[in-house]
Amino acid sequence: MYRFIIHRIVRGLVALILFQSLLFALVHALPYDFSSLILTSPSNRRFVQSYLGLDLPLWQQYGRWLFDFLRFDLGRSYLFWPTPVIDILGANLPRTLLLFLSGATIAYGFGIWLGKVLAWRRGGLLELGATLGGVAAYTSFAPFLGFVLIMLFGRELRWFSYQRFVDHNVWFDAPVTVDWLLVRIVATAFLLFGGTLLLWHFTRAVRRRRRRWSIRLAVLLVAVLAVGWAWFQSEVGYLALDLLYHLVLPLTTVVLLSFGETMMLMRTAMLETMGEEYVLTARAIGFSDKTIRDRHVARNAILPVLTRLALNLPFVLIGSLVIERVFLWTAMGQVVFNAVEYYDIPLLLGILSVVGALTLLAHIVLDVAYVYLDPRLRYAPGS
Amino acid sequence: MIGQSIRPASLHARWRLFRHHTGARWQSFLSGWYLFRRQPLGLLGVAIIIVYGIMAVLHPILMSTVWNRAVYDPIVGYDLAIQPHPTTPSAQHILGTDNFGRDVLSQLVAGAQTSFGVGILAGLVAVIVSTLLGATAAYFGGLVDLILMGISDVFVLMPAPIVMLIFGLLLRLEWPVVAIGYGLLTGLGGQAIVVKAQTLTVKARPFIEAAKLAGGGHGHIIRKHILPSLIPIAIVHGVFTVVGAVLTESLLSFFGRTSYHLSWGMMIWLGQETFRLFTVKGQWHAILPPALSIMLYCGAFYLVGRALDEVFNPRLRRR
Repeated sequence: MYRFIIHRIVRGLVALILFQSLLFALVHALPYDFSSLILTSPSNRRFVQSYLGLDLPLWQQYGRWLFDFLRFDLGRSYLFWPTPVIDILGANLPRTLLLFLSGATIAYGFGIWLGKVLAWRRGGLLELGATLGGVAAYTSFAPFLGFVLIMLFGRELRWFSYQRFVDHNVWFDAPVTVDWLLVRIVATAFLLFGGTLLLWHFTRAVRRRRRRWSIRLAVLLVAVLAVGWAWFQSEVGYLALDLLYHLVLPLTTVVLLSFGETMMLMRTAMLETMGEEYVLTARAIGFSDKTIRDRHVARNAILPVLTRLALNLPFVLIGSLVIERVFLWTAMGQVVFNAVEYYDIPLLLGILSVVGALTLLAHIVLDVAYVYLDPRLRYAPGS
Repeated sequence: MIGQSIRPASLHARWRLFRHHTGARWQSFLSGWYLFRRQPLGLLGVAIIIVYGIMAVLHPILMSTVWNRAVYDPIVGYDLAIQPHPTTPSAQHILGTDNFGRDVLSQLVAGAQTSFGVGILAGLVAVIVSTLLGATAAYFGGLVDLILMGISDVFVLMPAPIVMLIFGLLLRLEWPVVAIGYGLLTGLGGQAIVVKAQTLTVKARPFIEAAKLAGGGHGHIIRKHILPSLIPIAIVHGVFTVVGAVLTESLLSFFGRTSYHLSWGMMIWLGQETFRLFTVKGQWHAILPPALSIMLYCGAFYLVGRALDEVFNPRLRRR
């Protein structure tokens, strides 16, 4: 297993370097270089060229390009000269990550669960409704779905806030910045999530089913209560609540946009697996319906779905970028469209690199999850 | 005898072989159709696609017969008879007009042409590219596999809409450019990986071994034995590519990065820009038709893809 993970990471790094090379080739295939974007005299232009290193031989430029990338130096933005691109991304990425990661996690979890249920109860209003609803949400136009939700829950019912990232009245005179809080919220959520996964992993050894589940639920409950109490006690608790309140509507939109595909994939995979003979054996042994569904069918069906989920990730990412734009968040979505508007090529390339790196990371995580979930690979000889 | 060349078949024998193949193809098509027919959602999708297809074909006919070109042209039409111009639906303009005085229905119907063009072209490009790449990589294995899948690994990291946005800075994004770009990005990326995984299972089947023993060359085996088994799954993924391509095209034109004049995404952008959606009396009649059209059109292709998946997938068909 560990060998596989290392192999996967090495392959990912190679892909990342190739990706950067492709970007480099793309930039140098342009009929002009960066210096010609500035209207200036020839001597000045030569200065700009030497300043940006454009007069060096191509292989040196390529080496610098790769070396800079490995140092996380993505050049400077034209629109916000002389701010380094990495700073702009660093300032805007946390919000996008918050929306993207939580959206993807919830959408995938919900989709997998719903697909499981649908496959088990075929034919019926539930299947028809969930299929039509899921597909309609998946194929609806992202900004339009945002408009509808804003109109419905924001303006008519007034349940959720739909403008900006936080409420200025609440944050007036706040002791911390939004991003400071945001990073901590994300960290808390991921500690909880990772802790839950670890808990599940380590309590597998407990044989008695009832005892195992009581241990799991008790620890989880205590952890959630402790974290909640800690947040409530801290003086920034109300600010966090405000932030989460503003998150509800965009998150709902992203989840609606992305769960349908997962649901249909999981349903198909479940239907494929249900025809296997070992399921019949399990029935003959007399396992309960739910046990067969969750432990015998779903655990095998989820494997092919995981690889497809990795390929769907860019779709979720684009969805969240557009949704940010619709909900007027100052985040990556805004940066992308501004950069396009003002021909800020270094910033765009930086965005592409970061998006590529993030996608790669997600692919690796999902591949590792695949190996973990597939016992044939987990216990493979030599791992 | 060894070394003896095979005598070319007579014309009659060739004709009988051709008839036999055609009959077999027709039979397999019929058996697929019988399976497809049993799926109401797939049929619903086909019906919606046919309706939009009729709309796309009908537009030039309507323009030349019923609709006055000066009033109903989707791009430069203007109705002088009605004055304050974004108007609500009426007898002359069934879906109302936008603020440039153009008929919304006419734009909607004309936009179907763009959507069909983009979807079908992107699907075709993606199917061809991914099948070639995936089949070659899986068939040869080894170094070829490593190199080709290296390409896929890179392209899978590129989210198509962002790359298309950047391409929009360099060249005019006409709809074929959008379609081919999307098709290439998907076909070289994720779809090639999926097709390759499928090819590996085909390659392990005994008839490939038999074809090799009979002396078939690489090209022959790929063309005649591997590709026919791959076509179903390639078609299924091509149908899903249509969905992605149309959504991407709509997004690009919604954000005003494309350089043609008419698509559903552009109509939505105009609608939300000029119809004051978020005022107390938001006017949704201009934005709903294109938005619902995108949803119905893409949803129809998606449902058809799912239904085709159930037809072609032997593991699903077994029950």
